[in-house]
Amino acid sequence: MSTSLIIVIVIAIILVLMYNSLVAKKNQVDNIFASVDTQLKKRYNLIPNLVASVSKYMEHEKSLLEEVTKLRSEANKPNLSDKQKIDLDAKTTKTLGSIMIAVENYPDLKANENVMHLQRSLNEVEEQIAAARRAYNQAVTDYNNALEMIPTNFMASIMGYKAKDVFVISKNERKNVNVSELFAK
Amino acid sequence: MKTISELTDFYYKTLYPVLEELEKEREAVKSKVIKIGIFYTLIVFGIVFSIFKYLEFEAFVYIAIFYIAGWAWIYKFLISDYASDFKQKIIAPLIKEIDENLDYLPDLHIPLSNFNRSKLFTSRPDRVSGNDYVRGKIDNIDIAFSDFHAEKKHKGSKGRESWEKIFKGLFIVSDFHKKFHGQTVILPDSAQSLLGDLIGGWLQANNFSRDELIKMDNVDFEKEFVVYGTDQVEARYILTHTLMQKLLNYKKKTKQPIYVSFVGGKIYMAIEYNDDMFEPSVFHSLLNYKIAMEYVSTLHLVIGIVEELKLNQKLWSKV
Repeated sequence: MSTSLIIVIVIAIILVLMYNSLVAKKNQVDNIFASVDTQLKKRYNLIPNLVASVSKYMEHEKSLLEEVTKLRSEANKPNLSDKQKIDLDAKTTKTLGSIMIAVENYPDLKANENVMHLQRSLNEVEEQIAAARRAYNQAVTDYNNALEMIPTNFMASIMGYKAKDVFVISKNERKNVNVSELFAK
Repeated sequence: MKTISELTDFYYKTLYPVLEELEKEREAVKSKVIKIGIFYTLIVFGIVFSIFKYLEFEAFVYIAIFYIAGWAWIYKFLISDYASDFKQKIIAPLIKEIDENLDYLPDLHIPLSNFNRSKLFTSRPDRVSGNDYVRGKIDNIDIAFSDFHAEKKHKGSKGRESWEKIFKGLFIVSDFHKKFHGQTVILPDSAQSLLGDLIGGWLQANNFSRDELIKMDNVDFEKEFVVYGTDQVEARYILTHTLMQKLLNYKKKTKQPIYVSFVGGKIYMAIEYNDDMFEPSVFHSLLNYKIAMEYVSTLHLVIGIVEELKLNQKLWSKV
């Protein structure tokens, strides 16, 4: 008995551990994506309210408002892949940013309590989303590393795991939103 | 908040008459300390010389230890009046000058419950001490800090007790401006810097006395600290890039190991120091600029945490 049996057992244990760690990493990614998704939904839910309260004033930015509404309805479609959701999020972030900058040109809007509240809610959600994105990126990096590194890469290719995309975090977002500056204007 | 130079001005201008008076007291205490020190040393040496031939080498070691410990006790006793005068007349007004909503209690320390609630240290202390307790509000933010010394009792094989240090230094508690539910703990990164990324990283990931390891996306921060928490997303919600940078700056300023945690809506910070915060030395003049700066900058550093970390910036979510 043998050494060969012992070797087989050891190899089996190593394989099981590798398998489990890969599954754990994949589940971590899914798990955190779920919380990204929750935050994204929260933001999409704020959009109709925002559009309703600013559309009366914003004649020149109608196209922006239409675009953000369109993005929202796209995001609400069922069966979107993670990648599609990530793309939609990037577009929405950009469009919402433009709208927020445009709001600055309308003194009436800026003073409007409803808009102010929406702005603050959006800010808060953006911060939550930023945190969730960073958590997601870290989980994906761990997962992708396991997919490429020896020895887990062999196991991963047998299991048919594919590398996942990360969120692109813009330079702007790396800086924290300074709320007081936003409102000091 | 007042700047360091404004506080130094206050120290030299407003407190000057008091300083002069205290300086006289210090001189008197100093000469007393020196006289008694010489007397004490002579007595001890005299005793040792008279019984010199009966002593073995080991006995000398014990005598030396008792000599030093005895002197520490005598010294403390001799300067105690001066030290409390110093705290009442210099430190207390300095703190009031920084913010009048701050209270200074020289003989008390942060309650043990705060220390335990912070989750910063996994072992529970059996004995705590401390002093220089400051508490109150700055910009409507609750803040409290003090010198704190926590120890754990160990029983040796022969039933001998020994005390192990858990923490000694400055302990700060303050409100945190964001709402959160879980726990996030930031510790100095000893494993990774000692054992390298591979082994150190593995050890960190498998630390069973802590929550999940949270890898942060700031290389410098990761080098200095290790983060554990109950929630991956929430930890990053608290630790934005800005806050990570600020904690790094703060660490650079203090040049000491820093422990930070976020539990139950509060931020806890423990900064390791070997000396007490506001203990006056009788051998240095109170009018000495360097010494004065030290008191002022320590105070500024601690109370400045509110501004430094923007804890006073209330977010709407916590209104």
